[in-house]
Amino acid sequence: MLMEAKKEFKFILLSIKYNLAREMTNKATFLTNIIFMILNNAAFLVEWIIFFSIKDNIGGYVLKDVILLWALASGTYAICFIFFGAVQELPNLIMNGKIDSFLVQPKNVLISILISKTKVSAIGDLIYSYILLLIYGISFKNFLLFTLFIIIGGIITTAIATIFGSLAFYITKADTIAGNIMSTMLNFGTYPDGIFKGAIRILFYTIAPISFAIYMPLHIIKEFNIVNLLIVIGYTILIVSIAFLIFYKGLKKYSSGNLMSARV
Amino acid sequence: MNNVIEVKNLSKTFKVKVKEKGFIGSLKSIIKPKYKTIKAVNNISFNVEKGEIIAFIGPNGAGKSTTIKMLTGILYNNKGSISVMGIDPTKKRKKLAYEIGTVFGQKEQLWTHLTPYDNFKFFGAIYDIPEYVVEKKIKEFIEIFELSEFINTPVRNLSLGQRIRCEIVASLIHEPKILFLDEPTIGLDPVVKENIRTLIKRMNKEYKTTIFLTSHDVGDIEKLCKRVIIINKGEIVLDDSMENLKYHYLNKKIIEVKMKEKVNLDDKDGITILKDKGYNLKLEVDIKKTSISEALKLIDSDKIIDINISNVPLESIITNIYKGEK
Repeated sequence: MLMEAKKEFKFILLSIKYNLAREMTNKATFLTNIIFMILNNAAFLVEWIIFFSIKDNIGGYVLKDVILLWALASGTYAICFIFFGAVQELPNLIMNGKIDSFLVQPKNVLISILISKTKVSAIGDLIYSYILLLIYGISFKNFLLFTLFIIIGGIITTAIATIFGSLAFYITKADTIAGNIMSTMLNFGTYPDGIFKGAIRILFYTIAPISFAIYMPLHIIKEFNIVNLLIVIGYTILIVSIAFLIFYKGLKKYSSGNLMSARV
Repeated sequence: MNNVIEVKNLSKTFKVKVKEKGFIGSLKSIIKPKYKTIKAVNNISFNVEKGEIIAFIGPNGAGKSTTIKMLTGILYNNKGSISVMGIDPTKKRKKLAYEIGTVFGQKEQLWTHLTPYDNFKFFGAIYDIPEYVVEKKIKEFIEIFELSEFINTPVRNLSLGQRIRCEIVASLIHEPKILFLDEPTIGLDPVVKENIRTLIKRMNKEYKTTIFLTSHDVGDIEKLCKRVIIINKGEIVLDDSMENLKYHYLNKKIIEVKMKEKVNLDDKDGITILKDKGYNLKLEVDIKKTSISEALKLIDSDKIIDINISNVPLESIITNIYKGEK
């Protein structure tokens, strides 16, 4: 079992290495993608600085909290799209019958699909997230917790996208549903949770679980709480198990296809 | 008997949404969707022995690819059983993957930005083969399959023939016992087709690999396979050796004659006039009913300029089998 996991991990790293090699084919595009993503993210922070010059407290957050929130959101997004960059394409791959080549390999199908693409701009997000952590105030404990939480956040985001993407085994146009859920998670996750009231908060604990991916980690970094940390880890294990279960159940309905395709 | 593939009463159905035409049809399909069931593969059974090169052919939509995909673990079957190297593809997909190789002519498995060398190394990692073993294998393949010219050229810059050759080699890196080739020569020119066929034959000879081939190219079937399974509308219509196929179905000969003068002939028992245009004659002789010499007696030999006697092309035979004719 441990040997199997080791082999799978080695394969993931090799896949990402080759993904990056593909993206580096054009050095100029590769670098501008990363740099512009950092600049793009920085523009949003400028907006928040202006907001906080007018009001000291927004939804229970001060400027420093928003910096940590953005660091977590960017880091979560980065981990999801550096390691599991093909998750956004999952419904299309299923609908167009393009997962055949992954099914004839002796590796976990879902992981093989997810790691088959890396989004270069996500490297910009990752660099940006650590720059923000530096501004927030870095310590050994913060660094470790932050790194753990962006990995957890990335895994939760990937799991949710996989669950909704796997609907493509049953319905057409599942890509729209999965896309909407992803957008909800990524957009709402950059606003203080205190501004959201009532029913919308239920959404954050259910179909778009930003609370587990971003808000709870933020509060744990601010004030360490072992129970909350275990809840976040427990939820991650649960949601990943559900994602695998739904994908493999759906796989039995996979109908393949005869479209011409290339692995580019 | 040493069967590496055993298929018993295999069936596969697909549920397809039916939509009426136009915008109203789209609306109706949202409110009350209608489905129809398509039987892609209907109760087929066959075995393949170790080391065989078998052609699995049929017209478009016959169920060839669906069958190959069930044998390789891509699709789940609805009924029946499959055993490939003693493994059920639906239950032990990963275990099966170590035993088989696949090449889909219409789908690339290689990474186009990487060179064949890097691709082979990546495939080695997929199959958990130690690096020094992969290196050794690559050297062997370069020599046997003559890859030295383009081994370090990115796949996207290779010609179609070179790419297909690399696709086949990549599928051999883990030394599969069975190789499934789904239309490997599609879109290739005759010279490259011949190269690929040589490669397939060599694979079968050098590594004793069992080859399960689907192709629309009669040349592939005629030059490579000793056994043919023909599938049509999801059912097996013929499972026989190539020798028997030719013996039973090549009972007709075509005689083409160029004459000095115009001749008029009528059909006789066993002789059908296919073409009678002025100086050119084309007869089909059923040698079960009559002989070539009987047919030639109808023509005045002094008036013949040129004559050609040939078999009915295998392509026509297969087309007739598809249509259910003999």
